[in-house]
Amino acid sequence: MTRIIAKLDVKPPYVVKPVHFEGLRKMGDPSELAKKYYNQGADELFYIDIVSSLYQREILFDDIEKVANELFIPFAAGGGVKSIDDFSKMFHMGADKVVINTYAIQKDPSIIDKVAKIFGSQAVVVNIEAKRWQKHWECYTDCGRIQSQKDVSEWASEVEQRGAGEILLQSVDADGRCRGFDIELASKIVNLVNIPVVVSSGAGSLEDIKILIEVANPSGVAIASLLHYDRVTVQEIKKYLNNNVAMSI
Amino acid sequence: MKNIIGIVNYGIAGNIHSVQKALEKAGGNTLIINKPSDFDLADKLVIPGVGSFKDAMQELENDGFISPIQEFSKPILGICLGMQIMANLGLEFGNTKGLNLIDAEVKPILCSGKIPHMGFNRITVENPNILLNGVESEKFYFMHSYEMVNYTDITALTKYSGHSFVSAIHKDNLYGVQFHPEKSREAGIKLLSNFINL
Repeated sequence: MTRIIAKLDVKPPYVVKPVHFEGLRKMGDPSELAKKYYNQGADELFYIDIVSSLYQREILFDDIEKVANELFIPFAAGGGVKSIDDFSKMFHMGADKVVINTYAIQKDPSIIDKVAKIFGSQAVVVNIEAKRWQKHWECYTDCGRIQSQKDVSEWASEVEQRGAGEILLQSVDADGRCRGFDIELASKIVNLVNIPVVVSSGAGSLEDIKILIEVANPSGVAIASLLHYDRVTVQEIKKYLNNNVAMSI
Repeated sequence: MKNIIGIVNYGIAGNIHSVQKALEKAGGNTLIINKPSDFDLADKLVIPGVGSFKDAMQELENDGFISPIQEFSKPILGICLGMQIMANLGLEFGNTKGLNLIDAEVKPILCSGKIPHMGFNRITVENPNILLNGVESEKFYFMHSYEMVNYTDITALTKYSGHSFVSAIHKDNLYGVQFHPEKSREAGIKLLSNFINL
């Protein structure tokens, strides 16, 4: 059963919604929205501080703890994570999984090996921000701003080898556009690795989610805009998928 | 009786807080166990678990927690890795001796599905147990790459990608669940309240 995950992109103190990772719009208070999506039946919640790496400032742990407080579902948090100590603090604030991108690509990929060994693979999520160049995709960092020269497929395989337990696959091109997922990218990475892949970026309708699941069959789908703009609820997504997708359980 | 639920605090990887929060939501009176003498104050124990088998056993040994757990005669609930370390042997990052409370080994999940197994799945009750009262047909959240292999103390099984594995066990005062009740919504809270009221 595909997990339906609510994703909060946060520029403290607000949940924001960028288009192509740019042009932020305020969507609301992180704890309020977290509670709302929990009550709607979300299987998980992702919280990403999207400006922490870019602004090179410390992680705001108190904000994360506040969001974690009323949730009795898995909670993944990230943004600006750059040390074993950051991972440890995130878990103590109530995160079940920690999401990492910029530091692992730019500075030291071996942090993935280290944290997987200490905290277990299931607690380590690598966020991949992919941008398409004709027939291949390149990894970006700092909220879709900085090119890394790393090929998405190669990086996905490398992080799996290093012990990551999950990939959050975002598309810089499709993000916030609400015009459908980059299905080709999703299929490629889901088929490539043996760890779960959560696909995000681009859901504009229930049908977009259905097509993604039917074609790429990711382990999870992370939804932001559709939920933030109240176009659908998590219940509606689940009900629609139950009735319209022949899913293997 | 005060019915204090002791939560064993070991290692740097703690999902202690989410377990404590859920136990309190379920009506429990909790105490974080930080040193061996704290075990005497608890009426029941919960062993949470995040991390690897080897590191967990190393931490328990460093903290002097191994014999207090082995000698605890009142109910113990192990969650995820907390259940797994009750086994004789763990095969994560080499062979590691467990708490030796349950005749079992902990091995990597071998199946065609994606590993780690993550998500909400149903349990199938094999032997009715008070711990699962009222939640027998609910879904629980799993997040693991290893499974406990046991043939004698199975309470419930779960099927993932065509592969059945042990999702709950019970032997004497020992209870264990492979899933995370603290992350399984109302069903998880209900299970914890069953444990509190044992």
